Amino acid sequence: MTVEQNFEALDQFPAGMRVLAVDDDQTCLKILETLLRRCHYHVTTTNQAQKALELLRENKNKFDLVISDVDMPDMDGFKLLELVGLEMDLPVIMLSAHSDPKYVMKGVTHGACDYLLKPVRIEELKNIWQHVVRSRCDKNRGSNNNNVGEKRDGSGNEGGGNSDQNNGRANRKRKDQYNEEEDEERDDNDDSSAQKKQRVVWTVELHKKFVAAVNQLGYEKAMPKKILDLMNVEKLTRENVASHLQKFRLYLKRISGVTNQQAIMANSDLHFLQMTSSLNGLDGFHHRPTTVGSGQFHGGTPGMRPFPSNGILGRLNSPSGIGVRNLSSPPAGMFLQNQNDLGKFHHVSSLPLNHSDGGNILQGLPMPLEFDQLQTNNNNKSIAGSSMAFPTFSTQQNSLIRAPNNLVVLEGHPQASPSGFPGHQINKRVEHWSNAVSSSTLPPPQTSNSIHHQFDVSPLPHSRPDPLEWNNVSSSYSIPFCDSAATDTTNPGAFSRNTDFDSNANAQPGVFYDSLQMRQSGNYGPTTDAAMLSNNPKEGFVVGQQKLQSGGFMVADAGSLDDIVNSTMKQEQSQGELSGGDMGYGGFSSLRTCI
Amino acid sequence: MDLVQMQKSLQDYTKSLFLEGILDSQFLQLQQLQDESNPDFVSQVVTLFFQDSDRILNDLSLSLGQQVVDFKKVDPHVHQLKGSSSSIGAQRVKNACVVFRNFCEQQNVEACHRCLQQVKQEYYLVKNRLETLFKLEQQIVASGGMIPAVELGF
Repeated sequence: MTVEQNFEALDQFPAGMRVLAVDDDQTCLKILETLLRRCHYHVTTTNQAQKALELLRENKNKFDLVISDVDMPDMDGFKLLELVGLEMDLPVIMLSAHSDPKYVMKGVTHGACDYLLKPVRIEELKNIWQHVVRSRCDKNRGSNNNNVGEKRDGSGNEGGGNSDQNNGRANRKRKDQYNEEEDEERDDNDDSSAQKKQRVVWTVELHKKFVAAVNQLGYEKAMPKKILDLMNVEKLTRENVASHLQKFRLYLKRISGVTNQQAIMANSDLHFLQMTSSLNGLDGFHHRPTTVGSGQFHGGTPGMRPFPSNGILGRLNSPSGIGVRNLSSPPAGMFLQNQNDLGKFHHVSSLPLNHSDGGNILQGLPMPLEFDQLQTNNNNKSIAGSSMAFPTFSTQQNSLIRAPNNLVVLEGHPQASPSGFPGHQINKRVEHWSNAVSSSTLPPPQTSNSIHHQFDVSPLPHSRPDPLEWNNVSSSYSIPFCDSAATDTTNPGAFSRNTDFDSNANAQPGVFYDSLQMRQSGNYGPTTDAAMLSNNPKEGFVVGQQKLQSGGFMVADAGSLDDIVNSTMKQEQSQGELSGGDMGYGGFSSLRTCI
Repeated sequence: MDLVQMQKSLQDYTKSLFLEGILDSQFLQLQQLQDESNPDFVSQVVTLFFQDSDRILNDLSLSLGQQVVDFKKVDPHVHQLKGSSSSIGAQRVKNACVVFRNFCEQQNVEACHRCLQQVKQEYYLVKNRLETLFKLEQQIVASGGMIPAVELGF
């Protein structure tokens, strides 16, 4: 649409809002179309998800909102949701006859801005325009910095505030001024946004740089301006970076949130790695000793959204990919990509799936991350997956978790988490995890299920008290992140997760710590990871800003965790190999008390 | 029959469908969406519904008739039928679908067969009634009359 058209549309808004309706059921589609027309929206319909994507891709500015059914034969509605959110950043409303809360949850975690039940009533449709406005406001806020700078002589806005907050504040003020003439502003913003944004494609390389910059600055402290400076990429605007960062953060949150639900653990790692590996064949990512990603997760990787590659997505399509789907795509890719550069964030992807171990991937990997995350986000459960930072929420995770104790079920592990509350789980898990980690280098191989848990560090007591298996782990197992010395070569993945996804990065404790440190700052974990992951803000992130959950599982307290782990480890080591469950548990309990 | 009588008949007939639970308020919504700019909306939608449902019921019969029933195929069909029937207000069909889905989840083949029969029965019933309804409407329109707005006592 031209600017003028936009302007006119805005004038009458919400009338004239352009909606794309997708539903394979022609009866429902017809009804929906008529209902929408009755609301004075401008409606385009299609009964195929693929066609919908084409329509959207051919002109990103052609639609304001997408309404899509969940169950469609050619593509899962959630997948479409993710894609739209990532690529086009449009608000998407899900529609379904499934009233089951878990579907609603899935919709939310995948980034849907609303979920309607069939039969749809016109009253509900009359309000859907709010999602468009909300999403525009979010965008404007993000781009306002630039806009303000540009439009208002950039009076100190750009120059003064490196921090988002400063800019945000300034923007807000200006925004108020703007809002007085809303249409105008919107028009301006759209205009400038159109000019500025130009839909930057967050390629893997770009995303890597982004993540590296964020890492360097520290997740918490990462501000768009600084990131931009560090990245030193021509034609990249601060606004691009800001929105990318936002998405990344949301993504991370989302992942952590989802993973919490699903006991992400191993799955997430796997997915993530899978995703990453599948992503464009990024070499860096395949650090894993076993190319886990490539084959294994196909079914499960939830939304590994490869940034550029659709292949990964395909993988993600697996039905099991709950929630992760969204996450996986972007994060996975992102992580992988960034691995090399970042090394720090990638908890997820870097996990070298050590299938060879029989699924004891965890060996030392991500655990630290998750552990940290757990620490920090007790409430957030985000660490969801502690296992995997981001992507693995999907069912796979669940499966992984179910897997015999191998999985370090950090969060959401059905088995492990006695308490429904994620936060609790996290705490407990962390305890166990750290215990497990420290005590066991070997993830109980036998348990490794089909899903290669990356984290198969050892069965967490919670998930499956299996002292014996647990005790298998050698005391040399070092929690990657807490103990640099513990860099366990046997756990190639251990560090990789946090650090670059270098599977062979046995010990990059330094890196790991760095990442931890970064994360310590807060629940930025997820977001940072997300940032890292999302090369393609649109594509990489499964979830757009709206979509991201507040999973925030970033490692909050690496320091404390480290201490705990170290102390635990020392305990373990002093006790020698865990003789048995008792020891192990004893160790855990002691750890627990520490914690 | 004169026009007024026909209109009255139509109203009574429509009411009875609601009272019997064959149709629910969703159908009313559809009727309200019909206007001058969209004069055949209801019959168009219902026709689509019939087409889809015939197909789905066919597929269901096939799927359930297999030696080994693949419930993963059966369930989506029932789900879709549930969605479309609820969208047009075919309440009894929808309810039968709900029961059907429960048995699908339990993978109870025997019960599913019975459910399918039930769904078919309800479907043919509503199809029959709606076709009668449309005929009445057509008669009225052909006589130069207007279709009366639906007035439901409840």
